Order: sequence, then structure tokens, then C-alpha cells
Amino acid sequence: MKRGNEFAVGASVLGALAVIIAGALWLSGADLRGEDRTYPARFRTVDGLQVGNPVTLRGVRVGKVTGIRLTSDDWVVADLTVESPDVELPEKPAVIASSASLFGGWAANIIPLEPLPVDPNVRALLLESDRAGGEAWPGATLPDIGQLTAQASRIAGDIAEVTTRIQGAFDSTALREFRQSVLDLAGISSRLVTFTQAQAARLDRVGADAEVTAGAFANVARNLDRTVARIDSATGQGQFTRILDNGSAASTDLREASADFRELMAALNGQQASLVRVMASMDTLLTRIHSGDGTLGMLATDSTLYRETTATMKQFRELLTDFQAHPRKYIKVSVF
Amino acid sequence: MQRTAIAAPQWGRFVAHVGRWTLGAMRALGDIATWRSHLVPQMRRLGVDSIPIALFIAVFTGIVLALLSSYIFTGAIPLYFVGALVGKTIMMELGPVLTGMALAGRVGANIAAELGTMKVTEQVDALETLAYDPRSYLAVPRVLAATIMFPVVTAFAVAVGVVAGWITAVNLLDLSTQEFWKGLRQFYQFKDVWFGLLKSASFGAAIALMGCYKGLTALGGAQGVGAATTRAVVLGCESILVLDAFWALVLL
Repeated sequence: MKRGNEFAVGASVLGALAVIIAGALWLSGADLRGEDRTYPARFRTVDGLQVGNPVTLRGVRVGKVTGIRLTSDDWVVADLTVESPDVELPEKPAVIASSASLFGGWAANIIPLEPLPVDPNVRALLLESDRAGGEAWPGATLPDIGQLTAQASRIAGDIAEVTTRIQGAFDSTALREFRQSVLDLAGISSRLVTFTQAQAARLDRVGADAEVTAGAFANVARNLDRTVARIDSATGQGQFTRILDNGSAASTDLREASADFRELMAALNGQQASLVRVMASMDTLLTRIHSGDGTLGMLATDSTLYRETTATMKQFRELLTDFQAHPRKYIKVSVF
Repeated sequence: MQRTAIAAPQWGRFVAHVGRWTLGAMRALGDIATWRSHLVPQMRRLGVDSIPIALFIAVFTGIVLALLSSYIFTGAIPLYFVGALVGKTIMMELGPVLTGMALAGRVGANIAAELGTMKVTEQVDALETLAYDPRSYLAVPRVLAATIMFPVVTAFAVAVGVVAGWITAVNLLDLSTQEFWKGLRQFYQFKDVWFGLLKSASFGAAIALMGCYKGLTALGGAQGVGAATTRAVVLGCESILVLDAFWALVLL
């Protein structure tokens, strides 16, 4: 009986121990082969991530979180234990802690650091953690599902309010007006299409012109290039220097001509006084002629001389006629 | 003023009583030669023989938990949470507490009735006459046996309860084995196990202590034994609930 008691008690105790140990190991997913690898990951905050949460790679569970601790510089380091020995990790890994379900479960997801995620917040967190250096993998935390749900709830409330307001504003009149507005909008759209097509054709022409202009600009550029080449060539051969020398000589000549011109102008100034005086004398003379003073005045104002001159010329022509007709009357030639 | 004057001697007597019991328990624990030979038989009687009733309770607890959680979760929460609820609840709460309650009736009543009968039939006095300390001879092996064996019984009960919940979920609910184990493992922590086992050890100690105390202080004849037994079971159940709240406050 005594031995039977001992056996029963021993079997019970050992059985219970076996149940406890086996159950605990199986439920925790422990690997007794001892090939676990533990990597630290650095976060600003781990939010809902806890010890025991799964570590996933491309959605597949490869381990679990085995430790979380605070470190200096306001960082939190989580130890990620990868239990599968055959798992090939990314060359440069990073970790994103995120909510795994709507009911509070979290997971640490291993991703390659490059390319960086699209989300700017996650990208900034990963870069900040990566800049901290050390062997810890850079980590970022996505917002808790509760925060997202609360945000979504607020947005849903706003949408509901807007919907209610729209429902209140849209009576039958508003609906007719809205329908008319839609029809108007359709007409406007049609005209806009026509206008756009016309503008497109114009733009095509403008494009062609621009192409031609560009060709011309290209020619100008080539000509300018050639000109510059020539200038460069001329500069190289000393022609430009000669041109400058010639310009300098011409400038000297021009200065001398200017000096001569200034002297001429000074002489002209002196002549001007004489001319003024001559003009004054001429004015006096013309005045006297006009008033009939003197011989010239009498010639200008008295017609007697004209008449006598005319009569004289008439007599001279008669004399000349008579001389031509009767030369012997006036000329007598004798040799002896 | 008069009540205070009366209460003061009562409190003093109570404190002295506690001190006397504590010192007696220390002495009894040190008397290993007396209680060592009785430990294993008590472990067999109080622990191993209690396993069937604990397993019976655990099976139906697992079934009911799976059905109840499915009823609550359907349409609102993924059904794989049935596994989490069954596992967590049985490991941390229902396994230890229901097993403790069942054993409070079986073990606590057994101890109180046995020791009470010995007390009223003056067998305890005979032991003292033979220079045996009744606490060392009768109480210590029972308390130690209950403290050691309650976690053992609870471990079996938890395992059977979870398996019963799994079988129920697979056969009666629209849930696969993978989903059930996924929920069970997703929220499992080793603390769940040792928390339940620690509680069950404390329950065993409390139940056995209440049984021994009431049995060794039984007065009168059969009626006194019956009253002591009833009182031991009631105090054992109350101790379980108080200790359950205490451990929850301290360890959770």
C-alpha cells in the first residue's frame, strides 16, 4: 500500500510537471535546438509592442519579441529573436512595429531598409533611428489601430454631418436647378472641347513656327559662331591689333582736324565782323539806291537813261545795218 | 467606553491565539520525523484521489467556455479568439478556482470531519498523551500535501479543460484546429501558467489549514463535527475567493 501511494503520487507529480513544461514550451513556441538569433531594434516608442509578440518577415512568423528596454537618448530597444535557423534576413534590415489585429495584437515586421517605405512618417522615423548608428536595426512604429479607428470615426462623423446638410439642402427645386446646372455644364464642356481643339490647332501652328524660329535661331547661332571664330582668327593673326592701331591713327587725325576746324571757326568769327560791316554798307548803299540817290539810284529809279539807252541801241542797230549795207560809206581802204 | 473595555481583552486573546498557533506550526514543521511518513499517503488521498473530480469539472468548464465565447464573439470578433479566451480563462482563473472550490468540498470536509471525529473521540488527546504533537502528526502532512498536490491537480485540470474546449470548438463550432491554436498561442504568456499554479498552491494550503483548524477545534459530539466540517468548507471557499482577489491585485 505504501509503495502504491508513492507510485501514484510520483506519477501524478511527474505527469503534471510534464504537462506544465510541455504545454508551456509548445504554447510559447520555444525552440529547444538553441539556434535562435537575437537582434536589437531601436525605436522612439514601441506603443503596443510587448514581449512575446510575433516577429514576421514578409508576413510569415519567424520569431518573437523577447525583450523591451529603455536606453539612453530616449530610445527603446526591443530584442527580436528569430527562431527559424534557415530564415534569410534582408541585407540591411529595418523593423516596423504595427498593430496586427483590431483587438490589440502587435507584431514586429522585418523589412529591408532600402527602398524606404512610402509613408513619410515611417521613412523619417527609420532614417532617424538609422542615423543613431550602432548595431541595432532601425525601427519605426505605425499608429495604433485605436488611434486610426478614432480618426476614422471622426471622419465618418464629419461625412455624416455633411451628408445630412446636403440632404437638407437638396429639395426638388434644388434638384431641378442642379439638373439644369449639369446640362449647362455639359454645354460648357462641349464648347470647351471645341475651343480646346481650336487652341490645340493653333498651338500646333505655334509649335511649327517655333520650330522654324528655332531653326533660324540655330542659323544665327551658327553665323555668330562663325563670326566669333573669325574674330578669334583675326585676333590671332594681328589684324585686330592693326585695326586698333588704324583707329588710333584716325583718332589722332581727327583730333588734328578738330584743332584746324577750331582755328577755322576762329577765323570765321573774325570774318563775320567784316561781313557784318559789309552788310551794313550794302544796306546803306541799297537804301540810297532805293531812294534814288547817286548814279546807281538814278539808274534804278529814273527811266530816262533806259529810254535813251534804248534809243541809242536802236540807232546803233540802224547804224550797223547801214554799215553792213554800205560799208564803203564808212570805210575807205586805200593801199596807196 | 464600556464596549472598548470589553473588546480589548478579546483582541488580546485573539492575538495571543494567533501567536500560539504560529509558534506551534513552526515547531510542528520542524518535527520532520513525525510528519514525514504521513506526507505521501496524504498526497495520495488529498491529491491523486482528487484528480478525477477535478478533471470532470475541467471537461465541462472547457466545453461551456468554448460555447459561451463562441456565442459572445460570433458576428463581432473573429472566432479564433475562442482559443485565447478558453486558454487564458482556464489557465489563470477557472482552472485553479473551480478546482479549488471542488477540492474545498472534498478535501476540506474530509480533513475537518476526520480530525473533528478524532478530536471528539479524544484520539487527539491520546496522541498528546503519547507525546505526539497533533499539529505535527495530523495537520502538517495534510497542509503540505494539499499545498504540493493542488498545483498538480490544477495542471491536469487546465490541460484537460483546454483540450475539451478545443474538441468542442472543432466539433460544435465553425472553427478549425489551426484557428483555435492560433488564438491560444497568440496571447499566451508563461505567466499565465505559473500564476494559476501559484494560486492553486495557496488555495490548497488555505483549504487544508481551515480543515485542520476547524477539525482540531471541534467540540461536542457528531453535531460538533458536522458544524466544524461545514464551517471548514465555507471558510475554505471564502479563502479561495479572498486569495484569488489578493493574487490578482498583487501579480496582475
